[in-house]
Amino acid sequence: MERKKYILSFPSEIVEIPITHTFMSRFGLWTNILRAKIEPSSGGKLVIELRGEGDMIESAVRYAEAEGVTVRPLEHDVAVSRELCVDCGACVSICPSQALSLDPCTFRLVFEPDKCVVCGSCAEVCPVAAIRVDF
Amino acid sequence: MTAALRTYEDINTRIEGGDVVVVTAEELSVMVAEGGLHAAAREVDAVTTGTFSPMCSSGVILNFGHSDPPIRMQDIRLNGVPAYGGLAAVDTYLGATSVSKARPEYGGAHVIEALLRGEQVRLDASSSGTDCYPLHDIKTHVTLASMNEAVLFNPRNAYQNYSAAVNTSPRTIRTYMGTLLPRMGNMTYATSGQLSPLLKDPSFRSVGLGTRIFLGGAQGYVVWHGTQHAPAVREVEGKPIVGGGTLATMGALREMSPDFLRAAFFPGYGVTLFVGLGLPIPILDEAMAAAAAVPDTGLYTQIVDYSVPHRDRPSLGVVSYAELRSGSVSVGGCEVPTSSLSSYAKAREIAERLRDDIAAGRFLLQKPVWTLPPTGGRRTLEMG
Repeated sequence: MERKKYILSFPSEIVEIPITHTFMSRFGLWTNILRAKIEPSSGGKLVIELRGEGDMIESAVRYAEAEGVTVRPLEHDVAVSRELCVDCGACVSICPSQALSLDPCTFRLVFEPDKCVVCGSCAEVCPVAAIRVDF
Repeated sequence: MTAALRTYEDINTRIEGGDVVVVTAEELSVMVAEGGLHAAAREVDAVTTGTFSPMCSSGVILNFGHSDPPIRMQDIRLNGVPAYGGLAAVDTYLGATSVSKARPEYGGAHVIEALLRGEQVRLDASSSGTDCYPLHDIKTHVTLASMNEAVLFNPRNAYQNYSAAVNTSPRTIRTYMGTLLPRMGNMTYATSGQLSPLLKDPSFRSVGLGTRIFLGGAQGYVVWHGTQHAPAVREVEGKPIVGGGTLATMGALREMSPDFLRAAFFPGYGVTLFVGLGLPIPILDEAMAAAAAVPDTGLYTQIVDYSVPHRDRPSLGVVSYAELRSGSVSVGGCEVPTSSLSSYAKAREIAERLRDDIAAGRFLLQKPVWTLPPTGGRRTLEMG
């Protein structure tokens, strides 16, 4: 059993296709929608966690891509720039899912993408604009 | 005061001879815990500290050089950020928190960082014109290299101690202590605790006019006590809350680095400057070693409710820096997650760099001309 988080981008033409339902029914995946903003006129994005057998997750991703959805692992679209980050920790207590912490030995910022829910709070409070959240 | 162990001259002789023993305040804490204070005080000549924190009362004194025809600049903007126009013709002071009207998230601190990165900065200035300074307007570019002077002068840096902030109200508030979530959803603090310069020499025996320090990546100086210097020690809940002594500091901007001076923006509050500062403390006697060795478990601050819109905000208790650094603090039965606004990783990097500079003979300790006042409170401003 594997768990993976992806950000799915839907162009407006395919918002009618029941992608999430197909993930469950055809690929037997357990799905959890963490965040979604999709408009019929302009498309949009969906943050989803998929749980299931590794090859089924891969097949599901290939299926979605074949339908015209852009699928990116969450860590591609949420990133902390090591060059800009000063390891102050301002983001740590703002994160609702404990995805950001300071390493107890080095006190440098640690980002755990599997805990991230792509809320964007960290990017908003980062004083040096070191966190990028594309959603 | 305990018996003298060594003088500044002894320490500098050892630095120049290459056999000085210098450790960071963190390392001294470990030495004292393992081998005792008596032995550590006799072995260690000097201890280094560090902090990297947002310090609003910071800025640069600039002199642009004269144009032809010359101008007596009155309204001055650097990348759109207003600088002070009440000095001589081409002198100015650019404060870190001054902001661009067009881009309120861009301010003096960003201009300082741009200069440090070698970027061209747009200069727009205007004047009513005089017979000796006939030019009315100038639009040009300057760089750090093109100017006559660029001196970092910070009226208040390195707060000795600072309260931890929470918000008990039902709405999110935006403060210079960062974003505070409703109903004590988080807690922020801004001191490097066991590495914090003025917490490690709490009676300022080595700190005053002329003390050489690490400032923004270069060697700088303490030039006065900082504004709002209020170092009285108080007992709160039976724990000593070391006061709020502060430093006014100065150094050559050209020798500094954006690794240790960084612009910051706090949403809903504004622009400020992260300043990297390190103080070397000579271990003149055992008492200085004892103070410099106090670990985070023995250093305290108060928890203050920032949702109260008044000068004197209520205290919700006392907390140690060890608790703050653990990631969460218990307040009235609730676990509140903590965030530092001051980088402990950078503070440690500064203390280690200063230690290495002293050990390598690149940094000598300077005895101050006079030391900062060890007592004193703060006056208030009455309205009307």
